[in-house]
Formats: sequence, structure tokens, C-alpha cells
Amino acid sequence: MARPSHNAALSGIEEYRRQVLSHPLARGMSPLEALDHFKSVPAERFPCVAYAQRQGVPCTQPRGGFPLFEAQRRLTQQLSDAGADFIPLTVDSYTRHNQYETATQLLKRSEEEGQNYLNGYPLVSHGHELTRELYRGLRKPVSLRHGTPDARLLAEVALASGIAEIEGGGICYTLPYSEGFPLDRCLLYWQYVDRICALTSTKDLPIHRESFGPLTATLVPPAIAIAIEIIEALLAAEQGVTSFAVSFGQTGSMVQDLATAKVLRSLTRRYLVECGFDSVETYLVYHQWMGQFPPQREKAAALIAGASVIASMISADKVVVKTVDEALGVPRAEINAEAVDTVRYVLRICGCLETVTSPLVEREAALIESEVCSILDAVFELPGQAFWQSVFRAFQLGYIDVPFSPHADNANRLISMRDANGSIRIVEPGAVPVSDDDAREERALLETRKDRAEKTYLQLLSDINMMV
Amino acid sequence: MSKARVVIGVIGDDIHVVGNRIMQLALEESGFQVYNLRTRNRPEHFCEAALETNAHAVFVSSLNGEGEYWCSDFRRRFDEAGLTGILLYVGGNVVVGNRPAAEVESLFKQFGFNRVYHHKPDISVAIGDLHEDLRNGATQP
Repeated sequence: MARPSHNAALSGIEEYRRQVLSHPLARGMSPLEALDHFKSVPAERFPCVAYAQRQGVPCTQPRGGFPLFEAQRRLTQQLSDAGADFIPLTVDSYTRHNQYETATQLLKRSEEEGQNYLNGYPLVSHGHELTRELYRGLRKPVSLRHGTPDARLLAEVALASGIAEIEGGGICYTLPYSEGFPLDRCLLYWQYVDRICALTSTKDLPIHRESFGPLTATLVPPAIAIAIEIIEALLAAEQGVTSFAVSFGQTGSMVQDLATAKVLRSLTRRYLVECGFDSVETYLVYHQWMGQFPPQREKAAALIAGASVIASMISADKVVVKTVDEALGVPRAEINAEAVDTVRYVLRICGCLETVTSPLVEREAALIESEVCSILDAVFELPGQAFWQSVFRAFQLGYIDVPFSPHADNANRLISMRDANGSIRIVEPGAVPVSDDDAREERALLETRKDRAEKTYLQLLSDINMMV
Repeated sequence: MSKARVVIGVIGDDIHVVGNRIMQLALEESGFQVYNLRTRNRPEHFCEAALETNAHAVFVSSLNGEGEYWCSDFRRRFDEAGLTGILLYVGGNVVVGNRPAAEVESLFKQFGFNRVYHHKPDISVAIGDLHEDLRNGATQP
């Protein structure tokens, strides 16, 4: 068995970094380049400073990435002007899959023809020197949003560009995004990312890591998402990361959102402290509905407003916002800026001084907490010489099972559905080690729903598409 | 009586997995034995799986529109493997762009598919058709 440990920090990292940085697109960057650059970056570009400055209201962060430098520069300006507290840099999918040559070719074509042939900003192709120019004069943190199983070079370029928040993780950026990239390799590659974030940090201005809790955003039971978030916080802490955000996606049930936030916040803290990582600062991020959006803009706006109220009720440190064009594709910069403005409006008029709770929320939270502890305790008991090996084994055994993951290492045995209040219930746990009592309560709560469809798959379809 | 065997999967570099998983559950619930190739498959993967499992039917899905590119010689491949009577169904969003449903259906029938469900998300229709085609002896078990 292998619990998280301070001794797990990657050794021999200097030589390893030189290998990664020998790539031509690293443009001769030295391992000290990022650390040097951050000396000239204003403190407000670090998430810990932005979070410390927020006053009761969650910070806002849109999503957005265009292939051309000028378009990204304009988007950055527009989002900042609209009041976004965090500025996104969303990376294109070729770069996410390490196909830098294709990304570079399509960037060239986009530049020549003035059209977008990439669905995001090809950060590695643009390189760190140009990307620094995107953020000249900016006094807000930039967040790298991607979905990359092997983000070693990408993270090096991001840090050298002055980007102080890196989203992702070996699990959360692999299981929902990849069908075959081996999970054990992803866990090791993300150790590298975590380690270089730690090495680029100073005591007062740490590089910030954030995990992606929505996962497949398709009927993921909160206990599964929370277990993964805590594991990724622990894996990052092992590498010396001291500023970390856990996150989750709107579940579709207000009760379950309130309960999930409570358990995610408290258990992340508890497990970090238990494993000796008391010094890690943790934050809670809420993603507005990540499933299928209604195509009608009025309904989309209503969904976004409702999600903003929940972000306020759970006292999220940050809310990641959607736009009214979510169902239609990548939004224009103006629509994206409008979304930030709308969400800030709702957060202002629906301020919430403390986290809201109720007996129903407490009951849900107790159930989720018990399930998360069962899962994590079972993972800690699995054999392995290092914690990451126990984590890898947990997926092979189906102890952690993410519904609707395309990944070959995911068990796909857990089945979940919604109960009467829309909360996601575990109908069939597969190999996930929840206790018999908890499994019984899950089923009892599911029985509260009277209008269940005759066939499982019809129920699943309507549960998945509940917001449409 | 043994269950009828169906090979399902998503074709091309498409990793849209939600419909694929739902389809597996729907077919299993309707009494079929399902062999799920999941995402990112080439035509030969369907053919090899059908041979290996002695399948009655193959369900090909495409959501990102790559279907047209990959499916053009689909039936020929199965004929060459000796799987001449096998039922071939295709569904999802099988072509890129907005094209008339009738045109898309006739295109995929030329490719040798028995049934085409372009932008018809109700899986129960295909399951009903499969029951009917099997009753009519469209394939030799």
C-alpha cells in the first residue's frame, strides 16, 4: 500500500527538463526561463492574489481561444474589460494531442487565409516570447485550459509565457478526453507538470494548479468526482504544489450541488492535512452546466443565471461561465464578454454571505462523504510503491469508474440516474467500493422518483439531456 | 434460444461515446448480445469483430460526420470476408454539413447499408427494425 508522501517528488528533474526542452518549439528555453520571467510579472497575475482580493463574490472566468495572435489579444482585452477576474487561454485540440506540426501548419494557413482552422490557441506553435506579448499590461491571472494527457512541453511554454494557472491532471485530463492514452503514463507526465509548477513557485507567489472536476459531465456521481479531485490534489501536493483548486460541474440538482461543495471543500482539506500537506492552500471552483445546453438563447441565459445563483450559494472561489451560444459552437468574443457581464450581475444581486445548507443538503452530504471515504480508503490500501501506482490500480480494478468515459482503462460498469430532485444516484456501483448501507440509500433515494421510464436507456437519455 | 449478436462502435477519429454507451445498454435491455468496439474504429475493426463473434448485425455510428469518408466500401469488405448476409446499420450525424435526409439515406444504401438513421436519435426505431429484419431472415445466424 502506498499513501501520498513528500518523498514522491520527482528526482533528477533537471536532466528530464533538458530532454523536454530540447524540442525545437521550446526555442532554446532554459529551465530557469519561467522563474526569471515571473520576477517581472505583476503579483496580480497570480491566482492566490486574485483569490485573496475577492470580496464575498466568486471570481469569474470565461473560456476562449482563437488561433491567431491578434484575435486572442482582442479577446483577452474584451474579456478583461467585461470584468472577468481570470483570463482563459484555451488551447486547440491538435496541440492537446501533441500534434505540434499539424497545429503549426494550420496556424500558418489560418494566418494566410484569415480563417480559423484551429479550435483554440496553438500555444506551443506560437511560443513563449510572442505569448508574453498577449499579456503585456494585464493585471489578472491567466488560466491555461486544455485537456492534454501529456502536457509537459505545453506547461513549460505556458509558464515561460507568464501563465500562473495550469488546469488539468493525469486523471481529469485523460479519462474524459482520450480513448487510449495510457493512464499510467499520464499520471507520470502530470507529475512532471506539477513538479515544474512547484519549482517555478516562490513562497508568496506560487504557481496555481486546478483540477477539472466535471470529467465527462454526464451523470458523474459526486462521490466519484470528489474522490478524483482529492487524489489529484494529493498527487500535486506530493510534487510540492502549494496552491490548488478542486472543482466540480453543476450536477443538475441544487441540493446535490450544495452537498457536493460542502464535502469537496472539507474532505480535500482533511486528506491534505492527514497526509502532511497542511501548507497547501485550496480553493473551490464551480463549473456552470457542462452538459448539453438548450439551443434557445433565452433558456441558455436562464440556465446560466441559475448556475450563478448556485455558485453564490456555495461560496465558490471561482465560477467558470458558459455563454448563450453554448449549444451552437465556439462563441464570438462579444457573446463571451456579455456572458461574463451577465454572470457578474447575478452574483452581485444574489450575494450570499455564508454557505447555504438545509437538512436535505446535510443528508446528501453525509451520504457523499461516506462514499468518498470508502473509495479513498480502498485506494490507499491498494498495493504499489508510490501513491500514483495505487491510483492506477484503482482504475484497473474499477474502484473508480467514470460514467461515459471513452477511455480504455475505465471500467464502465457503474450506472447512475437521477432521483426526484434531479440528484445523480448510483444505481449499479459496479466495482466501486461503496458500503452496502450507502448503496441501499442510493437506491432508496432513486425510488423517490415516480415518473421513471420503463427502459434504462430512455431514462438515461432524459437524465443526460435534462437541461435541453 | 441464444441471443442475436450485434457489433457496435463509432467510426473514424470520433470519440463521441455517450450515444455509444446508451446504445449498448438499449440493445442489451432489448435482449441482444452486444460487442462494443467503443470509439475510434476503422471499417476493418467492424469486419474483424463480426467475423470473430459470428454477428447477425453491425451498428456503425458517426457523430462528427466522418461516416461518409469511411463507409464507402463497407458492404464489399464484409462480402469479401464471406459475411454476405450480415445486417449493416448506420446512424448518427453521418455526413458533414447540412444535406437532405433522402440524399444521405440513398448514399449509404449505395454503400450497402440496410438501414440508415441520419439525425434520427430515437434508438428504439432501429431496435424495432432489427427485430423485424431478423424475423424476416435477412441474415443467416
